[in-house]
Amino acid sequence: MRSQNLLLLVIVLAPVLGSLLLPLTGAVSARLRNALAILLVLAAVVGSALLVPDAMAGRTQTFRADFGLGINFALKADALAVFMALASSLISAIILIYSTGYIAHYANQNEYYLMVVLFLGAMMGLVYSANLILLYVFWEITAICSWRLIGFFREPMQVLRADKAFLVTVFGALAMLLGFVMLGSQQGSFDMPSAPISVALPAAILILLGILSKSATLPFHTWLPDAGVAPSPVTALLHAAVLVKIGVYVYARLFVVSYIPPEGFATLVMAVAATSALVSAGAALLEHDMKRIIAYSTISQIGFIFLGLAAGNELGLAGALIYILAHGFAKGGLFLCAGIIEHGTHTKDIRQMGGLLKTMPVTAIVFLFCAFSVMGVPPLGGFFGKYMVISAAINSGHLVLGLVFLLGAFLTVLYLLRLFNMVFLGESRGLAGPEGTPVMVGSVVVLAALALASGLAIYWPALLANQAASQMLGIAR
Amino acid sequence: MSAIMMWAPILIPLAGGLLVLPMRGKSGLREIVALLATLANLVVAIANFNSVGTWTGQWVGHGLDIVLLNYQFSAFILAAAASFALLVCLFCFRFMREKTSANQFFAYMLISLAMVDGAVLADHLVTLLFFWEGLLITLMGMIAIGRPGAFKTAVKAFVIVGISDLCLMFGMAMAGLASGTLVMSKMHLPVTDAFNALAFVLMMIGAIAKAGSMPFHSWIPDAAVDAPLPFMAILPASLEKLAGIYLLSRISLDLFQLTPESWLSPLLMIIGAVTILLAVMMALIQKDYKKLLSYHAISQVGYMVLGIGTALPVGIIGGIFHMINHAMYKSCLFLTGGAVEKQAGTTDLAKLGGLARKMPITFACFFVAACSISGVPPFNGFFSKELLYDAALDRHFIFYIAALGGSFLTAASFLKLGHAAYFGKRSSEHDNVREAPITMLLPMLVIAAACIFFGVHNSWPLRNLIQPVLGARLEGHDFAGWPHSMRLVWLTVAVLAGAIMNHIAGATVYGSGINAVDHIHYAPLLKPIYEQAERRAFDPYEIMLDVAAFIARGAWSVDRAIDWVYNRLAVGAAMLGSTFLKLLHTGDYALYVAWALAGAAIVVWYMVS
Repeated sequence: MRSQNLLLLVIVLAPVLGSLLLPLTGAVSARLRNALAILLVLAAVVGSALLVPDAMAGRTQTFRADFGLGINFALKADALAVFMALASSLISAIILIYSTGYIAHYANQNEYYLMVVLFLGAMMGLVYSANLILLYVFWEITAICSWRLIGFFREPMQVLRADKAFLVTVFGALAMLLGFVMLGSQQGSFDMPSAPISVALPAAILILLGILSKSATLPFHTWLPDAGVAPSPVTALLHAAVLVKIGVYVYARLFVVSYIPPEGFATLVMAVAATSALVSAGAALLEHDMKRIIAYSTISQIGFIFLGLAAGNELGLAGALIYILAHGFAKGGLFLCAGIIEHGTHTKDIRQMGGLLKTMPVTAIVFLFCAFSVMGVPPLGGFFGKYMVISAAINSGHLVLGLVFLLGAFLTVLYLLRLFNMVFLGESRGLAGPEGTPVMVGSVVVLAALALASGLAIYWPALLANQAASQMLGIAR
Repeated sequence: MSAIMMWAPILIPLAGGLLVLPMRGKSGLREIVALLATLANLVVAIANFNSVGTWTGQWVGHGLDIVLLNYQFSAFILAAAASFALLVCLFCFRFMREKTSANQFFAYMLISLAMVDGAVLADHLVTLLFFWEGLLITLMGMIAIGRPGAFKTAVKAFVIVGISDLCLMFGMAMAGLASGTLVMSKMHLPVTDAFNALAFVLMMIGAIAKAGSMPFHSWIPDAAVDAPLPFMAILPASLEKLAGIYLLSRISLDLFQLTPESWLSPLLMIIGAVTILLAVMMALIQKDYKKLLSYHAISQVGYMVLGIGTALPVGIIGGIFHMINHAMYKSCLFLTGGAVEKQAGTTDLAKLGGLARKMPITFACFFVAACSISGVPPFNGFFSKELLYDAALDRHFIFYIAALGGSFLTAASFLKLGHAAYFGKRSSEHDNVREAPITMLLPMLVIAAACIFFGVHNSWPLRNLIQPVLGARLEGHDFAGWPHSMRLVWLTVAVLAGAIMNHIAGATVYGSGINAVDHIHYAPLLKPIYEQAERRAFDPYEIMLDVAAFIARGAWSVDRAIDWVYNRLAVGAAMLGSTFLKLLHTGDYALYVAWALAGAAIVVWYMVS
């Protein structure tokens, strides 16, 4: 067995346990609490960044504690996990910094910071876990956190939507747990195998149900647009950094790295993803609620990520990871911009907006650049992701499905420009909000800059993504 | 060739653009920076002209590298692009002076130049796509800074070009799979099977959409009205034509082997012929200087696409020659339009008239460029059109008829434009109109002179720039000099004479130049069609939006149906189940015991059997 890497433990436990201290700190000082929250998330960022050199060299770090009865606390950091953890925690950190400006006027801030940091901690635990049961536990912690965060404003509507999100994702999670039990009885342990083994179709389908519900993919997707009632930093967190990326990550972890799905399974996933990408892109074109439009866009883009993963070749896997990173920056930026707009105009209905370019110029430009990245316009990061996953699908022989995604990409251009048009351009319809606070605007500028940098400096993220892709397929470099 | 010289055509304009972008004042510094950047770019382009070199850099992995190749064809396009950029920049020196958004204009223009240079230098499909799609943002920006409300056109342009770029991306990925490499100079795909043919069509869409061919054209006339005028001269008239036709040639000649036998050849020719005719029909009835020109910018692409589509050496040479000729006369024409707009304050033909005396040099340049585009000997457009006629006739006479008909209407519409703007009655508003300043005249004069040079001395461009593109496929032909078929020349002259007579007759009947083609505009069958077209009933963009809305409505109902399952069906089913269970809880002790016993019996039965 390898040496224990305590850093892994720190990355996971610092936010998970540290989050519990936040309400206590909040009782003393709000500023101290905010600082501690940011610090805890930064611990995850820095910790994951420190793992990059090992990951690049193809060395896998582990931590393991056995508690008997087959129950253990086993963490593992390969290139895939490090990439995912770094992307998630970095975006979360920016969203958290933005939150300090956004959430400052609302009640229950202690709960907010507790839930957000716990959420990110659970994400770290999930990403690094090497055991199915551990993964399930962290999975459900994220469900609880998202339930509380979506219903943060406590109005009947919010609570109803939070319940919906919780019920749909937990229904999926229970199906997945059943799948895990079947896997466990097949292999005699809940540890993820070091070399991939085959999995039977029923177990694979059950696990897929969990993944699709968490990643808000058709037909389990409608909770995600409904979750737009949450505060904007929360929606950003759900869409860009943590929640919906869990599903795609677990797909990569289980069906690419650890288990060999049955024949035809990947094609099924691609077909589901294609339908999902097309339906949600179409819905985004008709929706009037700003946040719901961006939410449908997320559902659509998740389809592209699944396409890359299910294509299963090196190009597709690397492309999916780059897509996750680029989409995270861009979608986080879009939601945080939406937050600034909502803050300023007190509405989410784009039919009432217009001409906001004049009062919110920085937000408008950031919004546009993030939208460009989602559309896949160079030199932003989304360009590379989109090319790589579509190319990978073609290379794996799925030309027709690729064409469906091409149609989805067309619609992406249309609905994002429609959104930009109706919000920022044209004549003002009486609503004119001021620009956000410096912290909020600063955060979105950073996200837009990262969206741009992830394209201009694609070389470096691509190195790690490529390492992850070849490691996932067991190709030695 | 050193890496610095390889990258200079991309980095110099890019750096210039980024430098100019924050310069908001009206100090004139931004104009000087832009001018220096374009000048330096031209110097580099000339210095690189005869060198061959490659540069390869690792990029994304998986064979997605940055590969640049400077060779004869790309060097030719680079030099042409650099010349137009410099001249338009010089023109803008005064033209954009008072505009507050001039810093953005110069910045976007320089970055666009960098992107075009990058796309032309690229020898790897993904490198090409990166620069190619990189034009999108600057395209949108340049239109958006036009008159108020121009953003709608900017979005339209972005959507049309963006969607065609996505097609290009898809086609590239297919071509990469088919040939096993993404390096362009290593690809030689036959177009015999369906997979390769689809890849060709998708890539072709990207190329001809950039060039502005139908059905991807409809943003151009809108931009002519909304965008700053030099935009029209630099992008739709020159840089985009150069890039689009360059790529179409590369696709047809190198990446794929387009043969006259393939069904793709007639497809391209039909697109070309339809574009020529429909766009020029629209040009004919325009009452605005810039808008009239913009329809010709579409129509002329048809000739190039038709020529390359013939897949014959004479057609390809004619197409590429027409591309460079078009970039010259069309940018010159747009610049004359700009001079008129600047000096007379309008481009509405109804308000213009008699400018030939006020602005003689502008008129002279207009005259040369108008003769070129109409194919009057011995200007450059005549020679490229004759080559195209030759090729079209070789394939099928119907294409020749279309091309010749297009020439008739082109000549008719330029007679109308010239008559309405430069002759006829002078409106009293324009008494104080004076000739444009020298910085605006100089670019026009240079281009007009080049139009004459490329015509009279066409052996120089043909032998040095264009024929080497075909290399061995030229099969020893030499198309320089006077057209070899005098019969076709006579037909051309007859058509031009017909156009002049048509104009004289029309102008006499209706009494003015602007109404000289009213007998065509209001002809019995054409009138309702024109009315529909003016109402954008045939705008492919609007049709595409309708299709998208149709798809969206379908998607929306699927989405709502699924949501209904969660919000209504699932809740209803749960309520129904619990209501039923509630009925069972009567509070009757004996009934509960009976249920328990029945349950136990089932368990026992299950365990025993």
